[in-house]
Amino acid sequence: MKLRSFASFVAPSVVLMLLLLALPLAMTVWLSTRNCTLDMETVTVTQTGPFGARESTTQRARLDADGRAAQACRHVGLDYYRKVLGLGSGNREGENEFRSALRFTLLYVAGTTPFVLVGGMLLALGMNRVTQRLKGAFIAASLLPFIVTPVVGALAIKWLFRDNGLVPHVLEIFGVQLYWMAQAWSAQLLIVLYGIWHVLPFAFIVFYAGLQGVPQDALEAATIDGASRWQKLRYVTLPHLMPLIGFVTLIHLMDAYRVFEPVVVLTQGAFTTSVQYLTYHVLLQEGNPYKASAAAVLTVAGIAVLLVPLLRKTWREQRHGH
Amino acid sequence: MATDMSATGGSGAFGARRRAGAGQALVYLALAAWLLLAALPILWTLVISFRSYVDAFSSPLKWLAPATLENYRALWIDREFYRNFQNTLIVTAATVGISLTVGCLAGYALARYRGATGFWLLILALVFRALPHSTLLPSFHALFDALGIRNTLFALVFVLVAINQPFTIWMLRSFFVNIPQELDEAAMVDGCTRFGAFRRVIIPVMWPGVLTTGLFSFLLAYNDFMLSSALTNADRMTMPAAIAGAITAESDALLMQGIAGAVSITIPLIVLVALFQKQIVSGLTQGAVKG
Repeated sequence: MKLRSFASFVAPSVVLMLLLLALPLAMTVWLSTRNCTLDMETVTVTQTGPFGARESTTQRARLDADGRAAQACRHVGLDYYRKVLGLGSGNREGENEFRSALRFTLLYVAGTTPFVLVGGMLLALGMNRVTQRLKGAFIAASLLPFIVTPVVGALAIKWLFRDNGLVPHVLEIFGVQLYWMAQAWSAQLLIVLYGIWHVLPFAFIVFYAGLQGVPQDALEAATIDGASRWQKLRYVTLPHLMPLIGFVTLIHLMDAYRVFEPVVVLTQGAFTTSVQYLTYHVLLQEGNPYKASAAAVLTVAGIAVLLVPLLRKTWREQRHGH
Repeated sequence: MATDMSATGGSGAFGARRRAGAGQALVYLALAAWLLLAALPILWTLVISFRSYVDAFSSPLKWLAPATLENYRALWIDREFYRNFQNTLIVTAATVGISLTVGCLAGYALARYRGATGFWLLILALVFRALPHSTLLPSFHALFDALGIRNTLFALVFVLVAINQPFTIWMLRSFFVNIPQELDEAAMVDGCTRFGAFRRVIIPVMWPGVLTTGLFSFLLAYNDFMLSSALTNADRMTMPAAIAGAITAESDALLMQGIAGAVSITIPLIVLVALFQKQIVSGLTQGAVKG
C-alpha cells in the first residue's frame, strides 16, 4: 500500500484522535497554568426606604458589551500544581489531595493485580477439566461481572454490603458486625473486591484461551518422564502462558490506574479518592477547571511513569524479535 | 485431557482414579463457588428490585417478600426513564456506527501499509489507550462551551468515538491482518481501486471481525458513566449516568428506583452475552493471541 492511500484511509481516524484526544490534552496543560475570575467591581447602591435613603457598597461582576459577566484571566504558572500537591504557604499540614488520591490508586492497582492473575489462572486451569457440555454456560455466566456496567456493578456490591443488606446479615450469623461503608479501611476493601470481581473474568478468558494452545506433545513427554502435575504446570504450561500473563498485566495496569466508578459509588469520595476521581470532583463539584487541569496533568504524568518501563521492555523485545 | 493421563500414571489404577474423582469434585465445587460470587450481586439486585424498601433492606433480612412492580413503574413512568433509554439508544447506535466506519478504514490501512508511519500511529494509539478519560474533561468543557455544543448528544457521541478509536483500530487491524493480501491484489488486478477492493471484497469477508469490534464499541458507549454525567444534563443523560443521580439523593424511593434502573440497564447486557458469547470471547483473546 502506498503512503498516499494509507494517509487517506487513516485520515478520519487520525483527525478524530487529534481533535478530541491530543488537542484537549494539550489544552489541559495550558488550562492548568491559568486562572480566570469574575471581574468584580465595587458599586454604591442607594436604597430608598420609608425612613430615608441608605447607601451601601457591594460587589458585583462587571459586565462586558454583550451583558455577560466579564472574566479576567491570567497566567498563574504552577500555582494550582502547588495547591493540588499541598505545597506552599496557607496549606494545612499534610493536606495533599493528589498524593492521597495517588496512594489509593496505587493500592488498588497493587491489591487487585495479583488476585486477578492468580484467580484467573486457577479458574482457567479448573475450567480445563470440566466436561465440554458445561463449558459454554460456565463461560457465559463468568462473563457477567466483566460486561456489566461498572456503575451498576459497584452499586450492586454496595447494596449487598449496605446496612441491612445480605452480606452484613450473613456475617451477623457468624457474630461479625461491621458497617462496611462507615470507615475507610472497609470501604477501600470493598473497592478492591469490586475490582477483582470485575476483572477476573477477563484474565480467566484470556488464560483459558491460552491453555488451549499449550503443546500437547510437550505435556505428554513430561508425563512419560515422570513429571508431577505441579512440575508440568511450572515448567511447561506457565512458560507457554507467560506472554499472556504480561498482556493481562499491562491491560489491567492501564485500567486499574483509571479506577473511578467504584470510588464514586462506594465512598462518594468520603474516605477515598482516586486520581481520576480527583479531577472529576474538582471540575464538577468544586467547579474549578484550572485546578482540575493541574490534577489531570499530574494524573497523566503518573500513568507515564508507570507505563514507560513496560513499554520500553516491549519495545526492546519487539526489536530483538525481528 | 492432561489430567486424565497423569491420573493413570500413578501406582494403582483404582486408587488413582478415585483420587482423580475427588479432585474433579473439588474443581466443580470451586467453579460453582466462583459462579455464585460472580452472579450474586446482580441476582440479589434483581430480587430486591421487586420489593418495597422496607422488604428490601429489612432487619432481620427477608429471604422471601411480596413482589411489586412499583419501583419499575415509578422509574420508567414517573421519572421518565424512557428518555434516558432513548438517549442511550441514540448514543450507542451512533458511536458504534461511526467507530466502525472510521476504524475499519484505519484498521485496514494499518494492516496493509508496511511503512514506519503505521507503526508509530499504532504506538500513539496505544498511548492514548492508557490515557485516563477524566484528564480530558476540563478541556471538553471549555471547548464545547465555546462551540455551544455542551450538553448535546452529538458532542458526547464524538467524544466516545474518539476515546474508542485506539482500541477499535488495534482490534480491527488484528482482524484485517488475518485476511490474505492476495484477495485485495486480485480485486485490484480486476480493475478495482484500493477503496473498491476494500469495500467490495475485504469488508464482506470481515463481518465476524466487524461484529466483534462492534460489540466492544457498544459496551464502551453503553457502559460509560463518567463522560455522560460530566458532559450532559439530566434530560440528555444516558441510563448509567441517570441512575447515579438517583442514588446519591439517598431517599428510600429514589434508592429503590435506582435498583430498578440497575436491573433495567443490565438486562440488555445479559441478552447480549447470551447471543454473542462466542464473539465476545474471541474479542477478548484477539489482542492476546497476537501478543
